[in-house]
Amino acid sequence: MPDFLSGYSIQNWLESCPQGYLEGTEYGHPPGEIEAEVILGNERLREEGIRTTVQLVVGERCALAASAGLINAAPDEGSKRFLATQTLDEARHVEIFTQRLLDLGVKKAEIEDVIKLHANPHLVAFADVLLEKVDKKDFVAGVVGQNIILEGMAFSVFEMMYAANERLNPKFAHTLAGTIADERRHVGFGENRIGSLIKEHPERKHEVERMQKEMSYNMLATFGDTFRRSAAAIQEGQEMGRKLAEQGVLETSRTQWHGANLNELAPDQLEDLLAETVLKEFKVRLSRVGIEYQTPTMP
Amino acid sequence: MAERPGEVHRLEPEEFLQEVQSFEFWFQSVEGYLTGRRFGHLPETPEEDLPENERDRLITALCNYCVGETAALEGASGLVAIAPNRQIQIFLSTQVVDEGRHLEVLLHRLRSLGVTDPEQEIQKRVNRSLLAFKRRLFELVAGKDWEGSIFAQNVILEAMEFSVFQAHARRADPITREILDGIVKDERRHIGFGENDLGRRLKATPHIRARLGEIKRQLDPLVLETFEETLSELAVPPDERTQLGRAYLAVVDRLGLV
Repeated sequence: MPDFLSGYSIQNWLESCPQGYLEGTEYGHPPGEIEAEVILGNERLREEGIRTTVQLVVGERCALAASAGLINAAPDEGSKRFLATQTLDEARHVEIFTQRLLDLGVKKAEIEDVIKLHANPHLVAFADVLLEKVDKKDFVAGVVGQNIILEGMAFSVFEMMYAANERLNPKFAHTLAGTIADERRHVGFGENRIGSLIKEHPERKHEVERMQKEMSYNMLATFGDTFRRSAAAIQEGQEMGRKLAEQGVLETSRTQWHGANLNELAPDQLEDLLAETVLKEFKVRLSRVGIEYQTPTMP
Repeated sequence: MAERPGEVHRLEPEEFLQEVQSFEFWFQSVEGYLTGRRFGHLPETPEEDLPENERDRLITALCNYCVGETAALEGASGLVAIAPNRQIQIFLSTQVVDEGRHLEVLLHRLRSLGVTDPEQEIQKRVNRSLLAFKRRLFELVAGKDWEGSIFAQNVILEAMEFSVFQAHARRADPITREILDGIVKDERRHIGFGENDLGRRLKATPHIRARLGEIKRQLDPLVLETFEETLSELAVPPDERTQLGRAYLAVVDRLGLV
């Protein structure tokens, strides 16, 4: 077993995650915390919250299926054990984001219908590309797709959402904080494990790069759709944040992420910032594992 | 707020399932017996100086437990893909990490007993009946047979491990005993899920009873041969072995598949 895998043991996971940053939380946030009134009391923002959370559930369901499916494809038992922890991390994410849908007022019996209604088709296509590799028990492509592309995207999206919600909606920001910590671990495993496998199987590079290009295209299309459809709600949220800041109720005037004030950017600028950040991260991470980043066609 | 594990029986059936199949419930259940332990035992638990023949027998037993836990890990992860609903997927994810933990603590124990290459040692000492059981389990999972897979995995395999580990823990050295006691607590939760899920399905669709009965008939000899070999390795007296065999059959028979 490569030495780095000892750092990804279940023992370490137990101590750092359930007994560490999740200790004392309930569905990922401190007990008793509720969604902010600015969200619950504004129909447009509440609906936007539901739509956004549906995309998170869709992404996490894909991650759950992929990590569980990759266990049987893993070439060593250390990787199997790490993927066991990732499977439970992803299941927890599915659970906490599904719980958020309930907290936002979706009825339990309507959850699946709401998910079907709002799931972005490009995000579903993104998931299908990955799950096809997992179904074929393709460990190399599966881990790149899951732990570098999907998790890399989730990491940046969650960080951006965390920055936007930290003061406006602390309950959701706290929920995101735990998932960000999880994603960091998953991305770290992907980079460490895949580098050596790509060296052993250089013939796989071309196929993996093609998958990355296809997944990146679907990701950008998802971002484009989301920011276009949510433009009015984003602007209303920004306006509300500014008013609350002026009244001294919330300190939201400077919501910084990657050097930009999220409260001052137009929706299309927010989309560009997120896309540029994620793609830059892809390039760096893929080059570390010996894969050449492929620029996707623009949706 | 999630109910404490002891309070869930006051819930309505649907709420009960939602509660006990959640990450939150798993977290509350395991933190009591895993907190403060590293690789399944308290750091201060003393290492007993085992005679060479006992150490060797223990290594053989642990190697076979690793095979059983690997089967359980791969079986449970395969079941996530064919689970009939999201709630069950989440429960199975907790089981995946439980099985992964069992494998990890058993491998760690092998290393602490001086086994430098556990994988190689396992290949040398593995019981053939257990390997045949593992193959049959994977066939059921690959064939997307939910009832057959959950019966083989969460009832038969878990009941076999539960019985053997309990018997072993009673006569084991202190570190091995603590490790096995922790595993048995998880197995109880897994068996509970299997019995509950299959019990409801048998009630709703009684025709699956014959199919599960057939799977039981295929697997029983493999389980009983594994029992015999492992328990004799642990020097369990023959009459106690018979009792354990009966106890295992009683767990399986609770579903009325005789």
